[in-house]
Amino acid sequence: MEKPDMELIKDGKRLDGRRPDELREIKIEVGVLKRATGSAYVEWGKNKVLAAVYGPRELHPKFLRNPTKAVLRCIYNLAPFSVEDRKRPGPDRRSVEISKVSAEALSSVVMLERYPNAGIDVYIEILQADAGTRCVGLTAASVALADAGIPMKDIVAACAAGKISGEIVLDLMKEEDNYGESDLPIAVMSRKKDVVLLQMDGKLTREEFKKAYELAVNGATQVYEIQKAALLKSVNDVKIEG
Amino acid sequence: MLHIKDREIVIPGQLMGDNIRHDINCFHEKDKVYSSVHGMVRVEDNYVKIIPSTGWYMPKEGDLIIGVITEVLTGWWAVDIRVPNICSLRGEEMTRDPLNVDLSQYFNVGDVISAKILEVDEVNACHLTRPWKLEGGITVNVNPKRVPRVVGKKRSMLNIIKEKTGSKIIVGQNGWIWVKEGKTELAIRTIRKIEKEAQTHGLTDRITEMLEREVGK
Repeated sequence: MEKPDMELIKDGKRLDGRRPDELREIKIEVGVLKRATGSAYVEWGKNKVLAAVYGPRELHPKFLRNPTKAVLRCIYNLAPFSVEDRKRPGPDRRSVEISKVSAEALSSVVMLERYPNAGIDVYIEILQADAGTRCVGLTAASVALADAGIPMKDIVAACAAGKISGEIVLDLMKEEDNYGESDLPIAVMSRKKDVVLLQMDGKLTREEFKKAYELAVNGATQVYEIQKAALLKSVNDVKIEG
Repeated sequence: MLHIKDREIVIPGQLMGDNIRHDINCFHEKDKVYSSVHGMVRVEDNYVKIIPSTGWYMPKEGDLIIGVITEVLTGWWAVDIRVPNICSLRGEEMTRDPLNVDLSQYFNVGDVISAKILEVDEVNACHLTRPWKLEGGITVNVNPKRVPRVVGKKRSMLNIIKEKTGSKIIVGQNGWIWVKEGKTELAIRTIRKIEKEAQTHGLTDRITEMLEREVGK
């Protein structure tokens, strides 16, 4: 398919004035939902994502129960108003896939063996989408899991890199994603840099992939610092009344 | 060697030290010890422990809990004590012949009871003992990991609340607190305040001051 030509990089700057290795602005709020066990709200550029964790709780249907460990389920949902053309509500091929890969990514850090027969439900609601929502969703979900007090070996931080106008850049936004050549979302365990999610759209050469991979892991490290700051803030900033 | 200070806030996966002893809220890989939850570190010589800031209740033998009867079955009751697994109360606790007696005359669905956890098995299913029916009153829901703060050292905090408000209070380790009589509204407001400010310094003094001011009004 021929894509319309668009000048995505002008004088070393991208459409929104970022450098090639610069992230969008990220804001994380912890504990926004009162009825959830843990929750987080993330604004990442124009992305707005809400993640909530419920459980560990009784798992239904019963046949899914595992007496050796808990089952972590994840539901990624794109709100009908989150994209330019209204999205038909309900799960579709894309959100089912993202739910599955997100659940697998999170399962590798959560200590599921502590809660036999139980289920942990993670809901990721995309309120406004602007490319890279699976990274934003995972970032929000892992903060929400930490807020829920569920024991984890590490925190998952995610970031994407990609190729636009022949150049490798960090954290694609919507125009770059639509008119660019390639997109590479990566989620890593922040401590050991173990990869828990890696997908790719488009094509990259071996060298380009290496460069994009390193760029994305660096981005994820920056994201981790923001997650950490948000979690520490949620405890330190308790208002003392009276 | 320690990498953190006493009373520092840690997040899951943060490195805490090498060759040190630790509690269940941490884990180790070879010599290195990492935290597995979000909370505050307490250091005692060569031992680190984390006081989690939030979390779910895990049943422990000997805990006093508050539960709600969810089902009356043949010979036993099913009780909801806010854990992900089945929790049962045997009919023998109340009668000699539980199979031929209508158990709902003792406890019916929706009744609030306090009980002790007798036994927890490997999949966290538990049995209760010594049930006591709690009639009337209000059950308040707090985060189970913040219950120790509501009780205080040697029950100091709880005694202050009981004394100043004149309420009967039973604190379940599972985060359900039963309050009856006296200045119930004030007692509940105090418990909520303690839950919110659980990880701050000098809380008992502030609560005493607040209660004295409110009662004096």
